[in-house]
Amino acid sequence: MKRFAIHKVRNKLLAGVLLTSLAALVITGISLLVYDLRSYNALRVSDWMTQAEIIGRANVAALQFEDRQFAEKNLELLKFRPDMEMAALYSAKGALFASYVRDGISRDRLPALPETDGIRIVDNTLNLYKRIVDNGEILGAIYLRVHYGFYERLWSYLAIVLAVSAFALAVSLLLSSWLQRTLTRPIMDVSAIAKRVVDSRDFSLRATKTTEDEIGSLVDTFNNMLAEIERQTRALEESNQALASQIANRAEAELALRESERRNRTLINASSSIVWTTDKSQRFDEAQPAWQAYTGQGEDESRGTGWRRAFEAEDREKLSSQWNAAQQEKIAFECELKLWHAASNAYRFVSLRAAPVLDEHDEIVEWIGTISDLNERRLAEAEIKRLNADLEERVLKRTEELEATNRELESFSYSVSHDLRAPLRAIDGYSRMVEEDYGDRFDEDGRRMLKVVREEAVRMGRLIDDLLSFSKMSRKTMDTVQNIDMTALAKDVAASLLREQDAARVRFDIWPLPAVHGDIALLRQVWINLLSNALKYSGTKPKSEVLVTGEEVNGDAVFRVQDNGVGFDMKYAAKLFGVFQRLHKAEEFEGTGVGLAIVHRVIVRHGGSIRADARPGEGATFHFTLPKRSIHD
Amino acid sequence: MTEYPEVEILLAEDNPRDAEMTQRALRKTNFVNKVHWVKDGEEALDFLLRQGAYADRPASTPRLVLLDIKMPKVDGIEVLRRIKSNDHLKSIPVVVMTSSNEEKDVIDSYKLGVNSYIVKPVEFSAFAETVARAGLYWILTNRAPTS
Repeated sequence: MKRFAIHKVRNKLLAGVLLTSLAALVITGISLLVYDLRSYNALRVSDWMTQAEIIGRANVAALQFEDRQFAEKNLELLKFRPDMEMAALYSAKGALFASYVRDGISRDRLPALPETDGIRIVDNTLNLYKRIVDNGEILGAIYLRVHYGFYERLWSYLAIVLAVSAFALAVSLLLSSWLQRTLTRPIMDVSAIAKRVVDSRDFSLRATKTTEDEIGSLVDTFNNMLAEIERQTRALEESNQALASQIANRAEAELALRESERRNRTLINASSSIVWTTDKSQRFDEAQPAWQAYTGQGEDESRGTGWRRAFEAEDREKLSSQWNAAQQEKIAFECELKLWHAASNAYRFVSLRAAPVLDEHDEIVEWIGTISDLNERRLAEAEIKRLNADLEERVLKRTEELEATNRELESFSYSVSHDLRAPLRAIDGYSRMVEEDYGDRFDEDGRRMLKVVREEAVRMGRLIDDLLSFSKMSRKTMDTVQNIDMTALAKDVAASLLREQDAARVRFDIWPLPAVHGDIALLRQVWINLLSNALKYSGTKPKSEVLVTGEEVNGDAVFRVQDNGVGFDMKYAAKLFGVFQRLHKAEEFEGTGVGLAIVHRVIVRHGGSIRADARPGEGATFHFTLPKRSIHD
Repeated sequence: MTEYPEVEILLAEDNPRDAEMTQRALRKTNFVNKVHWVKDGEEALDFLLRQGAYADRPASTPRLVLLDIKMPKVDGIEVLRRIKSNDHLKSIPVVVMTSSNEEKDVIDSYKLGVNSYIVKPVEFSAFAETVARAGLYWILTNRAPTS
């Protein structure tokens, strides 16, 4: 339709141009024709009047003298005018005096008598009559009949006008077609774009602006309109999508809701909980089958506020106050109560939960609640509580016992240190006195035996001292736990050990060690015992070499003390850390077998562990681990 | 001449064996003329304050007190405190003898102005040497002001 409309516009334009041209041409042609014919007629008439005058004048004498021959000859000259058909001279009396008739034209047409002066156009001939007057005396009359040629001229003129018109029309056609091209092309383009937009719904298309005139502004307007449509279409599509997704969500939500409802129903049916409802003023206003089944109350019995009687008397007030508070706040609440259970013929612990159902004005419509039996759980909890209390009591008792034992141990240590050492001192002192005062009365063997007595007394004293220091280590409270630079501590201990040794035959190699958290006095003892052990058991070698390394492994500090000493057989490794356990003979290496027991005890108290690795004659390596953060933190 | 003119050292020791050995060690130094031995803290205080059995003792103070810590009735720490809180007695040097290193903690905690302490070793010779050295030091080099 649009294209058609455009075509119509084009055709109209064309027709307008052509009609305008044609009208101009026709009016111009007719005007020219009329003008030309009129001037042609005037010219001819005037020409022939003059001719008639001339002929009249020329024949005055002939008429006066009635020289017919002369007159004939004069008229004969008219043959040189091809349009002249006939001419005649009449005498004053009106008789034909002389005449000329062009060949082929009948003489009969010659008028017998002259008519009055004037011109009469008859049958495409111009008939002219004129009197010949000389000095006021009418001498005769002249008659000329000339071929007028009006129609010939008319037709040829018409032909020219038509030809010119045709040419002018052709030119105007060309012009108008150029005009319509420049005018309608942009409109056609816009139309084509519009059609493509409609067909493809592609609103991003734009018409091309080629001119800055009204069409250009039309293109602009069209493009703006397209942009606006595009924007609105997009907005509409987005809105549609949002709507679609909302619809989808809603459908999903509805599905979920249905599912949830179904599950809730199933849950309520399957649950051992009692589900109940009251009206807004906490009254049972309908049958509560689950409630009645649990409590054994009849429907009439529980109706209204009768349900309250199923709770234990002392719980009713608590429930009322909590419920009334929740009613004020319009919130859910929960409380634990004892409810009569018909089947067990006893009160049972239950958890009551209730929530208000609100209408659109936030007013409570009714209450919905559940009651779950907690009895088993409460009984179990009570049992657990009782067991815990029992356990706590036992732990307490045990702790007390342990503390008593510790106190006993302390006083035992004290009496060991005091009372056991005193007799030993006496044994040693008195054998010394015997030796000093009576030694000369003993023989060699007697003196040797006395010496053994004293040596054994000294050894027993040392055993007692070591046992005491071990028990002291065990009992010492770790109240000075701090961060300890183990590198510095090990080096310090090694340096003090070196002072008691022949430094030239001992080599301590202490690598950087990880820091730990612990009791510095106890850990110092660990280093003293381990390093002095390493020196002791490598004392038989030309040079004692002790390597101390350490690293962090999984957040623990791991240490190694490696010596080049005599080592030991791993099958006795289990005895290594026991009190008074020795793997070597007293003659080989002195000692009481407490050092490593102390090391073990200290490391265990720090939450660590220790083990040894050795082969006879190939040295020993002690590995011990301390947590970066002590368990006593 | 009274009974106690030459007392130079008061030894408070409940163990007769330790007392005998201490006396012997001190005597062997050849510097100590007289060691008076009391068997418990009460007797030590009676002697020093000239009361009870020692009420008629002449007014002389020992040049040195050797105190065992663990004694019946009144212990060595209490005796020490009484000596150091008495204006007449507090200038006497007191050497405390302990049976073990455990008791050293006790002495430290009292900080009562003890002049020296000895841990009695099991070995007699070491014991004798320690006692003799302490006694000699306080008698010979650290003269008490004359009262």
